[in-house]
Amino acid sequence: MKRRSPRLLLAAYALALVALGFVHHPGLLAGLLGLALLLTGRERWALLKKSLAAILIFNLSVSLGYLLLQAWQGRSSGTYLLIMNLRVLLMVFLGFWLVRRVNLLQALAPWPTATLILALTLGQIETCRRLLADFRLAFMSRHPEPAGLRARVRHGASQVITVLDKSLAASTEASQALRSRGAFDA
Amino acid sequence: MHVPDGFLSPQTWIPAWGLAIGAWAWAARDLRRHLDEATVPRLAMLTALAYGLGLVMVPLPGGSSGHVLGVALLTLLFGLKPAFLAYSGVLLLQALLFGAGGITTLGINALALGLAGGVVALLLFRLLRPIHEGTAVALAAWGSVMTGALLLALVLGAQPLLASQADGSPLFFPFGWSITLPALLIPHLFIGLGEAALTLLVWRHARQRGWRLPSP
Repeated sequence: MKRRSPRLLLAAYALALVALGFVHHPGLLAGLLGLALLLTGRERWALLKKSLAAILIFNLSVSLGYLLLQAWQGRSSGTYLLIMNLRVLLMVFLGFWLVRRVNLLQALAPWPTATLILALTLGQIETCRRLLADFRLAFMSRHPEPAGLRARVRHGASQVITVLDKSLAASTEASQALRSRGAFDA
Repeated sequence: MHVPDGFLSPQTWIPAWGLAIGAWAWAARDLRRHLDEATVPRLAMLTALAYGLGLVMVPLPGGSSGHVLGVALLTLLFGLKPAFLAYSGVLLLQALLFGAGGITTLGINALALGLAGGVVALLLFRLLRPIHEGTAVALAAWGSVMTGALLLALVLGAQPLLASQADGSPLFFPFGWSITLPALLIPHLFIGLGEAALTLLVWRHARQRGWRLPSP
């Protein structure tokens, strides 16, 4: 697919989200989802799988709750469930499609400070994720049996303290690096 | 706890975005004046920290767990405005990168969890600190979790009233307040207790380490 301007795609995405809030016909929503899948190209199934995984728990809980409520009230209609699930799936799919198409850092290029904040944030998030994954694995290896509440609270607190320590240190480091490079010199 | 895309009517999320834009402008006003090599990394690290806190599990009795919200901790340690901006940034990244929460619901989520949660934490802390600092921190954390849950339960529960078909069937979130209030508030009573215990432990550690904390 031809590369479009990131801001154009962003505007189209925002417009699509607003428009989808006013579509309440399951056939039309299914058609739009089909169209989105068709236009996405080869990565369509990977994006669909990712979208389904992202909405699974919340949508399943709401759908089951709604079915139970309907059964209790002696009513039965699947139209709402179709509308709700198709709309949510389409919105999430479009979000993932946008992120796949648009490089967020490139889209923010006209605003260097915003680009800098996003770049620093994404880097630090990755550090956080790895650190906490290591913490979790270490905790599991120390507790072959399920750990008690006290141990889990202490484990949670130690994770937060480490992440806080890391963040403060990284903030100082980045600040010194920016200063030494004259990033904000007029 | 944040609301995903597709469950709120445009009558709800469009005004909420308007309010949130105003709140972000208010929070960023001072920051914009002082965007330099100290504030830029600090904001970025705070955002990453808020994200990292969301990955930490709050242990609950019975072996289950929930996610740390971290809004009270961020607010008490770094101030309301930076904490609100950082938390909003996390909600945006979570929605775009992981499909958690949503773009249409970003305004509501940021206002309920980031701003209202932070304000309540700050008020409870200031009110109770002269009596007992530990209790003030714990109640601030518990109060911020409950405030977010209460506001989101109210917003979700209002959807059947705000938008439904002619035959009465819902268009967006299907359950009213009789279901959303207990469904969100009861579990968060316990999540709030876990968050309070965790926040208190981290607060004490911060004091011991001599972190220079702004007076919230």
